[in-house]
Amino acid sequence: MKKVMLYALSTCPFCQMTKKYFEKHNIPYDFVDVDLLEDEEKEKTVAKVQEISGRRAFPVIVIGDKVIVGYDELSISEALKE
Amino acid sequence: MNQVEKIFCPVCQVSFILREEKEAGKKIVCPVCGAVLVLEKDNSSWLARRPDDLTPEEEIRARIENFAQLRNYKFNELKEPLVEGLLKKHERYGDFYCPCKIDNIPENVCPCLETRQGSVERDGRCHCGLFWK
Repeated sequence: MKKVMLYALSTCPFCQMTKKYFEKHNIPYDFVDVDLLEDEEKEKTVAKVQEISGRRAFPVIVIGDKVIVGYDELSISEALKE
Repeated sequence: MNQVEKIFCPVCQVSFILREEKEAGKKIVCPVCGAVLVLEKDNSSWLARRPDDLTPEEEIRARIENFAQLRNYKFNELKEPLVEGLLKKHERYGDFYCPCKIDNIPENVCPCLETRQGSVERDGRCHCGLFWK
């Protein structure tokens, strides 16, 4: 099983939908609500999100070595299958 | 002198020409971002400020409705969770910053700059999924 990581914001509905998608399909995943982190950790995590996605917008989903920006079920299921 | 006076929108920071009669205390809508504003006369020039008689929820709901109407955009079931996210941002950071972006800066005030500059036309929706083509 590929490692799945979700970078999310607690205020963003597409981020919640991504969590629900993984739960519905029994896909184990890690996540972090970036806006709820302490300042230093937040800055570090946002820098990482920016580095891998080129944006400072959420959700950012990492499946194996694939990075998906935004909630896109098709890209998620394809990345899981690959 | 026949110069048209522009009104500066304190929400989207764009100046616009108001094509209706100006009157102190009158509520107007910014044609760029849909914000509800109140006209005020300051010496000889007109100013627009955000209304103080609306709750945060009333203010943001009116703004997004106006913006959608101006651009002919639609909403869907994501609207309510996004209004909730916007209100949470307002409560935590003092303004209606985009619920899906980390930076609480003027260009991310809803409708955010990329949305005002046409990302809905390009992508079919704004980043958050609030406005749809």
